[in-house]
Amino acid sequence: MNFSKTVVFSVFTLSLALLISCGDEKKGESRSTGYPRSETLYLAGSQWGDPNTFNPLIEPWLVAWPANDRFNLMYEPLTAYNSLTGVTEPILGTLISYDTEKVVVDIQPEAKWSDGVSVTSTDVKFIYELGKRFPQATVAYVGEFVSEIKVDTVDNVERVSFMVNKEGRNNPLAILDQLQAIRIVPAHIFEKHLAENNNNFDEVKKIKCDKDPVVSGPYTLAHYNNERIVLQRRDDYWGNKVLHEGKLPVPRFIIHPIYKNNDHFAINLQKGALDASMNFIPRIQEKRKDGVSTWYDAPPYFVPGSMHFLYLNNTKAPLNDRNFRRAMAAAIDYAAINRLALSNYMGEIKPGLIMPDGLEKKYYNAEEVAKHSVPLGDREYAKNLLEKSGYKSVFDNNGNLRHSIGPNGDTLPTLLIRAPAGWSDWEAIVNLVVRQLRAVGIDVREGFVDGSQYWPSLPSGNFDMIMRKPPVAVTASLPWNRFNAVMSSRNWRPVGDGNFMNENEGRYNNPNAPGYNKRVDDLLDLIPLITDEEELKAAYAELNNIFLEDQPVIPVCHLPEEYYQFSTKVWTGWPTEKNPFAPPQLPWVGSGINTLWRLQPAK
Amino acid sequence: MLKKYPTVRYVSLRAIWYFLTFLVAIALNFFLPRLGSDPVDIMMAQSSFSSPEIRKQTEENLRRDFGLVVVDKQGNIIRDESGNAIRASKFSQLLNYVGQVFQGDLGTSFRNQKPVSEIILQALPWTIALQFPAILLGWIFGNSLGALAAYKRGIFDKALFPFALLMSSIPFFVFGMVLVYFFGVVWKVFPAVGAYSLELMPGFSLDFLTSAAYHYVLPFFSIFLILAGGQAIGMRSMGIYELGTDYIKYAKWLGLKETRVLMYLFRNAMLPQLTGLALSIGQMVGGALITEMIFSYPGLGMAMLTAIQTNDYPVIQGVTLLITTCVLLANFTVDILIALLDPRVKASLAMDSK
Repeated sequence: MNFSKTVVFSVFTLSLALLISCGDEKKGESRSTGYPRSETLYLAGSQWGDPNTFNPLIEPWLVAWPANDRFNLMYEPLTAYNSLTGVTEPILGTLISYDTEKVVVDIQPEAKWSDGVSVTSTDVKFIYELGKRFPQATVAYVGEFVSEIKVDTVDNVERVSFMVNKEGRNNPLAILDQLQAIRIVPAHIFEKHLAENNNNFDEVKKIKCDKDPVVSGPYTLAHYNNERIVLQRRDDYWGNKVLHEGKLPVPRFIIHPIYKNNDHFAINLQKGALDASMNFIPRIQEKRKDGVSTWYDAPPYFVPGSMHFLYLNNTKAPLNDRNFRRAMAAAIDYAAINRLALSNYMGEIKPGLIMPDGLEKKYYNAEEVAKHSVPLGDREYAKNLLEKSGYKSVFDNNGNLRHSIGPNGDTLPTLLIRAPAGWSDWEAIVNLVVRQLRAVGIDVREGFVDGSQYWPSLPSGNFDMIMRKPPVAVTASLPWNRFNAVMSSRNWRPVGDGNFMNENEGRYNNPNAPGYNKRVDDLLDLIPLITDEEELKAAYAELNNIFLEDQPVIPVCHLPEEYYQFSTKVWTGWPTEKNPFAPPQLPWVGSGINTLWRLQPAK
Repeated sequence: MLKKYPTVRYVSLRAIWYFLTFLVAIALNFFLPRLGSDPVDIMMAQSSFSSPEIRKQTEENLRRDFGLVVVDKQGNIIRDESGNAIRASKFSQLLNYVGQVFQGDLGTSFRNQKPVSEIILQALPWTIALQFPAILLGWIFGNSLGALAAYKRGIFDKALFPFALLMSSIPFFVFGMVLVYFFGVVWKVFPAVGAYSLELMPGFSLDFLTSAAYHYVLPFFSIFLILAGGQAIGMRSMGIYELGTDYIKYAKWLGLKETRVLMYLFRNAMLPQLTGLALSIGQMVGGALITEMIFSYPGLGMAMLTAIQTNDYPVIQGVTLLITTCVLLANFTVDILIALLDPRVKASLAMDSK
């Protein structure tokens, strides 16, 4: 018996020692006071793996939050797009003008880096022209849109003109997007790094930038480990005076906890351990009693902003038949998807690629849409269309589909709908779509695959049907960028390994095939150059009509793109429908950042 | 010549077998992840590029950095006639990898360019701190209860047996979620997520240690109770079997003290349980995954899952190498322990040498 006592005792001692030793990850850190809850804002959902580097020059998938994407907390862009008003708001720069020749921005004269150096056009040119020096830089794509950056001084203010690259993409609209997507980094710091490394960019990319980084934004990196990233307020942030009437952002710290499980967002929001998040939480209205709120108090709770699609392989029979695709679009019961898979987060879905509400509403033409679209959720219409086009379906005695037969008498293959296994909202959608399509006699099945199979199959086109949300951000260029993501065949490649397309993955409108509709690509090129509103409306209507007629992909739901749910246990004063001082975004993207100056500690 | 020393012969034979198994395992660890999609393809598909040229350039740079294409001494990519980079063969990658492993270099993660050894060293203490005490205590507790139940029978056994059966048949993840739901969400008595309160700075402060201990409770019990349940069942049935054997009856007739009899019983019934313990400890690294996911607890399992989802070969290889080593070492130790503890094995060794 003494023996087992010794074992128990030594196990306890050992585990305590281990716990202490692994807790002591950051040696030399003297502060133990920590981050008082009442002064700390907890936001989550933008960092999943272990953070390793905060170098803003390297590929986004390698960089940790908030240096990885469009977050304005440490490194700031020139402008921020307000998805509620459509206004391009100033940050490091002020948008002066925008036309088919150039996009002009004034640099804020008071803007300063955290080491006291002024933010100038040198910094802007450094990052925008980095691709000219190092073609492997992730911002190198800018060169196709911006041919040259001109700098003048007007009333002691530096004025930067981004000249539209006429020979390249000739797309000023995309430059407007880049103003908010590309964050300015301190040229004087990175030039020094480059000089120290013999101008070897790959070496500079290895610098972690995690010790006292030089930033221009309102927060800077204080601490990080595998469980969280901590940002600390910079009380000498230049923008407090210039952009925020001399006020400080209210939270002293922002902590991004790194969760390993989707359920933890909901659990922690309800417990008040997390203040806001942007992730899909089913049945959000039931969390209201625990202080979790959304933009609208009633369905759809969030502001719709993005479309999720069922991409169709337009090169494979029977999906290469327009009528077959249209029949599918008609057969799907979108209301059931909203109710059963999406907790009613979707308003009424309208056909086409233009959202019927929000800023895109002005381009939405209900009459035209009704003329060209199939009726949504109309099974009889779908069955008739299939029959008229020569398709037959064989059902067994119980009414279950056995197989279907194409117009030339062949048995059609069972089409698989790919989606990443474990994405529960998409899985639910696919399950419903399969049931609904089979009911009208279209032979489809679920094909859930691991992420390592899902992602590569997209650009190579190796799929029958696949769930997809194209990377279309909420920017000034909507809905153009949505059309472009779905219909552009300017980089057309045939289906196959190694043949990558990053837009129109379903291979619609093959430019080398006899039926090529050149008008689609022409319209996609033309729209960014149109400045007259009426002309723009007409062009969008024409493009949308082609989409409705051809149905290259099927939009299955309209969901919010940038959105958030928040808890009022620790912080109040969040923007909502009733108090829309900032767009419905987490306070770290676009003009959602203004929320940081308006939050109040809960009493 | 080792015939004179049967134990030494036994141990060295075992060691050779385990080393061979180890080599096979390394090769499997290397090839199995490579059956799936290419990690560069996954990365490429998740990002967008403005032109096919930039895409190709980025892709080639990644393949070069990851050692997936053939390079010359200056690190330039060697190309075939049509200008495509020549892919490195799997065999040359394997040689490269084995060479690195024997120099103690586990490589660098593709995903976040962190050295694999660093990833493992950061995560391993958490995994061990959670799993090792839970497994060991669960084993001791479960076996003691099982032996007691077998010996005492009656009401104690009737109460314990169904409970232990229930615990051992609930899957890990279900039990973890039940704990989270009731203790974390409904009653809010224990924190459901994480390993310490994020308001605190990890360190030797009392606040931090209290918080870590508080967060430790639910994940610990999610492993401890299930393991104890399984062990109790096993020990109980072993114990009942041993109770019916002649030597126990004889010991009882001799009028030995109850604790003495119990000791004999325990020693003999424990042998299969010991193997179970070694296996549990060997697999603790891999088995940690679900606990870590349910509680967002730091540790190796999560590192492994992320790596598998993105086909981050070096991390998968590093972690599986660690698991392989642990399992083999644990089994090896048990083999030796059994040879020392089990008189039957000892006797058969001595027979062999004659």
